[in-house]
Amino acid sequence: MAAREPRFNQHVLIDTTPMPANIPKVEEIGASSAPLMSASYFIGARCQPYNDDFMKCKTEANGRGEVECLKEGRKVTRCAASVLDDINKSCLEEFRQHWTCLDNNNQQLWQCRKLERGLNKCVFDNLKLEKTIPGTPANETPVHLRKKQIFAHNAFSQ
Amino acid sequence: MPQDMPPSGGYEPVQYRRNLPVRGFRPAYYLLGVAGVMVYGFYRFGKGIREQNELAREKMWSRIHLIPLLQAEEDRDQVRRFYSQQALEKELLGAETKAYNSDRFVRPTYAVTPSRVTK
Repeated sequence: MAAREPRFNQHVLIDTTPMPANIPKVEEIGASSAPLMSASYFIGARCQPYNDDFMKCKTEANGRGEVECLKEGRKVTRCAASVLDDINKSCLEEFRQHWTCLDNNNQQLWQCRKLERGLNKCVFDNLKLEKTIPGTPANETPVHLRKKQIFAHNAFSQ
Repeated sequence: MPQDMPPSGGYEPVQYRRNLPVRGFRPAYYLLGVAGVMVYGFYRFGKGIREQNELAREKMWSRIHLIPLLQAEEDRDQVRRFYSQQALEKELLGAETKAYNSDRFVRPTYAVTPSRVTK
């Protein structure tokens, strides 16, 4: 993922050969970074087992994970797509507002807490997916639930 | 000639100290005030660090939840290109050769430029 794509200055060269027919098809996510970031904790809440499975497969494949973990990868993608689908079905307005806010604020989550609260509530009510940040100190309010965001441009309107 | 003598009752006291009003508070209060400002500043600073740590944790986990998804997509694309290159090699050379003495998946460094541009 880190390597650079080849760039040509004369024309665009893209290998468009489709996947061999014996490998099942899966539709890619096709979402940009802001919606993904907005939905990431819900994806994590529902798809944690698939994600862990995929990463474990990749670790244990000894460098052949790209070819051998296609099945797990498809599961990961399908699960994330299902989460995005469900959010789009039941909480489209809140979701759109939140990721637009993220897009407009350099993807800084703490600038959009008000909208995030609405999204989290809607998603929890409809899909029973809750945003929890693992490893937070037990005696403090988790940062996404704090009323005052001291780093936000407008700390009190969050 | 008689010698000059001090006047009877002695000279008046010499005024060597300036008789100015003292401005402001006692220095200790200023010291205390500065110390108070600094303690409050460090308190806010510490709060900010704690909050930043938590925000960093939030961002980190949001990425951790997304990484498998992005990696899976990228892997599929790499595998697709790999198979297509293999098929191309077979078509052009008639045999599939292995460039590396290992069966690890290696991202190709060079891409074969197709003769006709597909877009």
